[in-house]
Amino acid sequence: MASISARRLKKELTEINHEGTPTGIKLLSADDFETWFFSIEVLGNTLYQGEVFKLMFRFDGHYPISSPAVQFVVDQTHQAPIHPHVYSNGHICASILGNDWSPVLSVASVCITLQSMLASCKSKERPPDNDRYVAHAPDNPKKTRFHYDVDRV
Amino acid sequence: MSSREPMWYCHECHAEMRPIMAPGPICASCRGSFVEKMENPEDDPRTFQQAGGFEDVAGNVDVEAFLGGLQGVLAPQPGNRTARSPRPESPRSPRFPEGNSSSSGFRFEFRTGGGSGNGGRSFVIGGPNTHGGRTNEWTNDREDPTMSEFLRQGSLDAGHDRPNITGPMMAQYLMALLGGPTGRAGGTENPLFDLLNGGDGGDARGGRWGDYVFNQEALDQVISQLMENSNAGRPVPATDEVVENLPREVLEEGSPFLEKDCAVCKEQFKLETEDPDEQVVVTLPCKHPFHEPCILPWLKSSGTCPVCRYALVPQPQAHGPGPTPGSGRPGGGQSPTGDSPSGSNNRSSGSPGAGGSGGGIFQSLFGGTASGAASGRDNLNRNTFTSRSQPPEPRSSQGGADATHNTPLFPGGWNDQVD
Repeated sequence: MASISARRLKKELTEINHEGTPTGIKLLSADDFETWFFSIEVLGNTLYQGEVFKLMFRFDGHYPISSPAVQFVVDQTHQAPIHPHVYSNGHICASILGNDWSPVLSVASVCITLQSMLASCKSKERPPDNDRYVAHAPDNPKKTRFHYDVDRV
Repeated sequence: MSSREPMWYCHECHAEMRPIMAPGPICASCRGSFVEKMENPEDDPRTFQQAGGFEDVAGNVDVEAFLGGLQGVLAPQPGNRTARSPRPESPRSPRFPEGNSSSSGFRFEFRTGGGSGNGGRSFVIGGPNTHGGRTNEWTNDREDPTMSEFLRQGSLDAGHDRPNITGPMMAQYLMALLGGPTGRAGGTENPLFDLLNGGDGGDARGGRWGDYVFNQEALDQVISQLMENSNAGRPVPATDEVVENLPREVLEEGSPFLEKDCAVCKEQFKLETEDPDEQVVVTLPCKHPFHEPCILPWLKSSGTCPVCRYALVPQPQAHGPGPTPGSGRPGGGQSPTGDSPSGSNNRSSGSPGAGGSGGGIFQSLFGGTASGAASGRDNLNRNTFTSRSQPPEPRSSQGGADATHNTPLFPGGWNDQVD
């Protein structure tokens, strides 16, 4: 079934392949229309200078109506960035990934948003409720209903 | 027991209570209808339970053995769960996560004979031993020497030659055991709490036991968790009426739309399409055009323009402060609020480590079925704690016995479906 999701992702992938990804963001793998991986780093003089993170996008069949599940990969070689909106399990509290998602957004635009979220960080801290959240967190961050605070970061 | 009015006995939950007449008598504790008035001392229904019983009770373990075993389980276990793993633990399998197996596979069944030889009761914690056995040894006696002494003694002579401890004493010891690790140095993990808490260990310390709390801080935690978990701020879908009334236009030669893209699928409007529906263009009041099959599913999840967020139906304030009544999604998922806060309020005071208040908490935990277990005078040893299989109707009235279900699922968890 050429679902809307597959068509849209195919289009995004074509664009990424032809026009490249934004600076600091590289496509690592997009073998299907379910899970894509990107590497992301923040260029310039930021708190995350020299750090490279790995982003995982998971799409369900309703993308782009439903938002992708986006999180930082935490494994032997990757850590989640230390950021007030990023939990140590890689889950990200960002309204555009939840209530403020819009189908106009895309994989590339999410990457850029997250990059700028990191770039504007002023102090490397975990969210205050990190331990509690991580202990309870579902596998899929979309199952979490984050409470989005007005961004002061 | 009162001598004026005979008590009733529930054969389903083994509670002794005064029934609710609705209009036939039903158990005030579990709402079961299999109740019996205990008016004839010659025919005490409680003896029936002892003779055969409904539950497969594994022998006569007495109170001391129960407490001793409990302490064994609660004892700090070196090398087990010392470092909290940062990886997310899926709430889909709340039962017995890996890595906690040594402490989770236990099943307590304790049964006490009544003071007068009848009225055996059973109390079961935990589920089938699926992870291999755990022997209830208690090797550390450095903490609470008095209680340990008591427990050790109980293990040696199996408690047969000693008087059973009284209900209030047991309550104190139990609460000390349950609450003990919170006050101890080193942040000892508490496997029983973990088990009852769904095995996650996150809120086990700090006065939480499932959705029961022992102090204000824990209550705050529950509430904030519920708030985070609420539907507040979720987009409100457009009503069918609003959607039906949107202007639609079928593409044709020379249409100005042919120059434009649909912002959902990011493809240009065109005349030749596989799906004839894609030639229907829906224009939102903000003038943004979309393929009908692209925009309709979106409007069912959020009544806003994907491009400019124009609200077709009133939307909750972005970053709104907390839940606003009536702003929830009409068809949205249920929020796990509900009974929990009210159920927790009753027992938000008292500290788990303090023995003096133990009886009260104990009673509120187990008191739903225990008409006189903790406070009775002549039936101190006839504990009426039971394990029940059916979910209780008002959760709060039933107390902590429900926390002993094999699959502890508490409101406020993270496993609620998104949709």
